[in-house]
Amino acid sequence: MKYSYINPKKKSVFTQEIQLLLSFFSITIIMLLLTYSFLLYKNYSFKQDKETLTAQKIELEKSFSLMEDKISYIEKQKILSETIYTKNIVLKDSIANLFDLVPLRITLSEAQLLKNGLILYGITPNKDIYNFMLQAPLRSIFHRTYSSFYPAKDGWFRFVSTNYIDNQEEIEEDE
Amino acid sequence: MLSNLLEALYNKVIVNIVLKRSSCDVYIETCSKKAVVNSQRKTFETIQLNNRVLEFISSYTKESPYSYISILDMSPDQGAIPVCTKSRLSEYKDLDSYEYKCFNEKWLYFTLKNDLYEIEKRYKEIGVDFIFSPFTLLHNFFEDKVNSHLSLYILVQDSFLSLAVFENSQLMFAEHLDMETSADDEMLSQIMDDEEIDLGESSSIDLDDVDVIEDMEDLEDFGDIEDLDSLEEIDEFSESQDIEEELYEADEPIIESDNNNFNEDYQRFSLIQSSLGHYYKDKRYESQFVENVYIADGVGVSGDLKRYLEEEMFLNVYIRHLDIPMEVCALSKEELGL
Repeated sequence: MKYSYINPKKKSVFTQEIQLLLSFFSITIIMLLLTYSFLLYKNYSFKQDKETLTAQKIELEKSFSLMEDKISYIEKQKILSETIYTKNIVLKDSIANLFDLVPLRITLSEAQLLKNGLILYGITPNKDIYNFMLQAPLRSIFHRTYSSFYPAKDGWFRFVSTNYIDNQEEIEEDE
Repeated sequence: MLSNLLEALYNKVIVNIVLKRSSCDVYIETCSKKAVVNSQRKTFETIQLNNRVLEFISSYTKESPYSYISILDMSPDQGAIPVCTKSRLSEYKDLDSYEYKCFNEKWLYFTLKNDLYEIEKRYKEIGVDFIFSPFTLLHNFFEDKVNSHLSLYILVQDSFLSLAVFENSQLMFAEHLDMETSADDEMLSQIMDDEEIDLGESSSIDLDDVDVIEDMEDLEDFGDIEDLDSLEEIDEFSESQDIEEELYEADEPIIESDNNNFNEDYQRFSLIQSSLGHYYKDKRYESQFVENVYIADGVGVSGDLKRYLEEEMFLNVYIRHLDIPMEVCALSKEELGL
């Protein structure tokens, strides 16, 4: 039953001092929690980064070996190309030499370059011109030279010259 | 929920301040949920809330956040009226500037709002939680008696008298009397009476105009004095006596009267007498003849007051000693549900 003219004031355990103390504590705890969560986040992000970097590293290592393969392949290609280039130069020289060998009066219709030989088709006004002006230098170059003639309609001769260079090993074997 | 839990952890400190004429009683009780843990009482020879009083109070209130300050309303302009319905209040008093509260929807006690503000202002350093009316205190103190037949109940304080007539827990009449201001009023009224007497004496009475024979007839009716001797009526009179209270009273020591007490008790007696006269005369109150008077003695009245009332007014007087601060504390505990 209420007897008093006035109502009692609200009582609270949280006096001003305690409120101040609690607010300080709560601020500290909030700051700690924030720092903790920040660190958690950072830790997580570092882990993520680490994983990504590891994956990248593996990827790079893979691509590195792939590149090494490619490099070696390219180096091989380079060696090959150099070889081919050298061969081509040699071939070019030999073709130039060949055409230098061929006198003006003889016309070549076909030339077949073999690995160890040369087959020439052409027209010569007569056998002598061929024998003296083409066969003699060919003989000096190739080990074996075979020539065959057959007459053309205008009195000229078509010729087929087959020339072979015997390998040094074969020669040695033969010997 | 949390506040209830925290409240249960702390003891409650109830500080009860009762002002007297030139001193103040401070009674402090520390209670747990079940029992009184500690109680302390001190009287200060001041009515101001000085540093010593503040120190004494704060040394207890700082122990618990649940400390309550209770004050007994000492303002002179307060009282109680026997109705509680708003429409009937104006018959007794205009309560616009008063703070009032209904008691059990039966009667109402009131005090001046400004006095309440004054109390709150005076104790603003410690903060007041409860302000009680002396009438609720009187009702609670005589709770075992007020629900019986009509009697007069008086709370005697240092400088105040709170009178209330209760019948079956219903207030019939109440008056709060300030002994200091009433003393002045009484002196004034006494002077007025004297003047009237002087006037009476100065005006001549013509004795010849008095009809002696008619008056004699009235006297004859009055002369049937034998009726008064009948035993029945005496028995009736004795029935209204409170034997239980008499036994209780017999255990209490009677305080010897000195001259100062005598004066005060006489003043109290005359105040009670005039107040009862007011009750009998005022038509707004349902007046019945009061036979028993219960006095809650908060100051230690002498046997003189009892004798006066018994001899002059033919009342059965029962005095119970009352520790006002403790009773205020009991009211606070009831408010707090302890």
